[in-house]
Amino acid sequence: MRHVRGFDVTRPLSIGMLVFMMMPLVFLPLISIFIFGTNKGLASFWAALVAPEAVFALKLSMVTSFWATVFNVLFGLFAAYVLSRYTFWGRNALIVTISLPTAIPTAVAGVALLMLWGPFGILGRLLRPHGIDVMFTAGAIVLANIFVTFPLAFGVIKPVFDTLSRSLEEASATIGATRWQTFWHVTLPSLRGAIVSGALLTFARAVGEFGSTIMVSGNLAGRTQTAPLYIFAKFNEGQIEAANAIAIVLALFSFLVFSVLFFARDWLDVD
Amino acid sequence: MAQVVRVMDNKVNPISNGSATPYAASIVGVSKRFGKTSVLHNITFHVAEGEALVLLGASGSGKTTILRIIAGLEQPYTGKIILHNKDVTELPARERGVGVIFQSYALFPKMTVEKNIGYGLRIRHRPRKEVKKTVNELLQLVQLEEHRKKYPSQLSGGQQQRVAIARTLAYKPEVLLFDEPFGALDAQTRSHLRREIRALLKKVNVPAVFITHDQEEALELGDRIAVINVGNIEQIGTPAEVYNNPTTEYVATFLGAANIIDGVVRKDRIEVGSTLIPARIDEKFKDGETVKIVFRPEDVLLSKTQPLPAGRACLSGGVVEETSFVGAYERVRVRLDPAGGAFESGDNPYYLTTETPESQTAKPIVVTRPKPEAVEVKLRRGDRVFVGLNAFTILPKTTRKTTPRP
Repeated sequence: MRHVRGFDVTRPLSIGMLVFMMMPLVFLPLISIFIFGTNKGLASFWAALVAPEAVFALKLSMVTSFWATVFNVLFGLFAAYVLSRYTFWGRNALIVTISLPTAIPTAVAGVALLMLWGPFGILGRLLRPHGIDVMFTAGAIVLANIFVTFPLAFGVIKPVFDTLSRSLEEASATIGATRWQTFWHVTLPSLRGAIVSGALLTFARAVGEFGSTIMVSGNLAGRTQTAPLYIFAKFNEGQIEAANAIAIVLALFSFLVFSVLFFARDWLDVD
Repeated sequence: MAQVVRVMDNKVNPISNGSATPYAASIVGVSKRFGKTSVLHNITFHVAEGEALVLLGASGSGKTTILRIIAGLEQPYTGKIILHNKDVTELPARERGVGVIFQSYALFPKMTVEKNIGYGLRIRHRPRKEVKKTVNELLQLVQLEEHRKKYPSQLSGGQQQRVAIARTLAYKPEVLLFDEPFGALDAQTRSHLRREIRALLKKVNVPAVFITHDQEEALELGDRIAVINVGNIEQIGTPAEVYNNPTTEYVATFLGAANIIDGVVRKDRIEVGSTLIPARIDEKFKDGETVKIVFRPEDVLLSKTQPLPAGRACLSGGVVEETSFVGAYERVRVRLDPAGGAFESGDNPYYLTTETPESQTAKPIVVTRPKPEAVEVKLRRGDRVFVGLNAFTILPKTTRKTTPRP
């Protein structure tokens, strides 16, 4: 590229190229759902949105994701604490195992859970005579969410834990703090950013989970149908507007989450 | 501030029963192993009320481990830690009431200066009013009032250190432990802070243990110095004692520069080469025993003429090998003459060593001269000089790497 009177042609060209490439990949698909979701007027969009099954699906997604997030953040914290504080035989194997679900196809995760908790599964078979059915319930969705989002909170919290200076905890101890006080007043504040990021990532991922959910939930409308399953079901039934309405909500939701993650970065890392 | 000082005075004088010792802290027979490696051997020392004791040693000497054992961050293999007549060996760190100033200061990054200082009182659930009052007094004491709302990352190294000290003073520690307190600072700030901390310690009258590898720091900070070498205390004493009368070669060479030459005891004199110099000979040395003569570069007298001024005995003649100007004084390297002309090569008449006791190869001695003397008697390379000693220490010839103790 030539410089024409100090004007760098490369700059606008490469930016233009990037935007152009992202058009068919990201922008246009997103825009399409907005166009299709609203092309029959806002009234029909609204009607599709407040349909009882749609509202239920959204709520179910939020609630199951919430509990999966709570569990995974707490467990992620605990796992990060153990794995960064102690060295023991098999530590690396544990780290790999915890991170594994990122690489497993979600459908496989669903099948795996079925093989364990399903009516003919290893544990499910034993529980069934006692009237305990784990699969095809909201609980099953939470389990699937936990399985799939397991590494996310851990992956964010562990590196921050590793960088925390040991001497901070020692200082707190010599000052007279109990382990719990040290954790609450010293360790936790330093992890605040990581915990919030981890929670948002987990939640966003769980809300969008499809592959494993469809295997374990049974996809029963009004009972175990989450928002992504609702979209899939409505689309299959040919109710494009109904599918689009929820799709728009989910798209806006993830947009919001990632905006928070991006723009609150400074606040999350504040020293 | 006055309040703080008074409270601390009350705190550090709890000794009333008859069996009590006047020590603020006693470390008795402490040894430590990491796995099969023994890192401390039967360490015993005491810190008096209001005293500043410096543990001086090279890295890996075990001094940090001693500090961590006192703080309760490590458990000793054998031995006891006694703070104000209370055996705290079995107590966890948080119940010892020891103040540790970590090398990195370990200030809590998410707390402001005042929150950091008040931490010890808050976790003890003291009334808010009391916390506020103490924090205010301590902020005044360490002169950080205008920085109270700042976070540690917004402070300079020296300010952070003062916060760290104030944070420990808040809960009236039994003893203050400083882990290489000036390691992270530049030379100028360092010497300034040393004086500041010394003044502060005298004010609050809390006993302190410093650890450092910097001999200058040790001399300036300590009421007493304990020189640590491979897990043993080589010598413990006032800075003057340890510097002027080192009891081991390690102490002599670690604390300042030292020239070491061999000599033989001849009744009330020491024979060096062909010269007999008068000396006070300790009873433990036998007649005819080979000993080491240790002397500081500044204790050497150089003269171009005989006899030496002030009636000093002449040790030997020598040739100036090098002179260099190092600011406050001049450093001269002198190669002593071979003994009685018996050796022509001038290479190993008597065993001259500097710094490394193992080395038996002849080395020149190092002499430092104050500026006025350097100006008055100019020395150049190749000049012949007569060498005398103002002061020296006699040590046994046998070099013990580790000092066995009962």
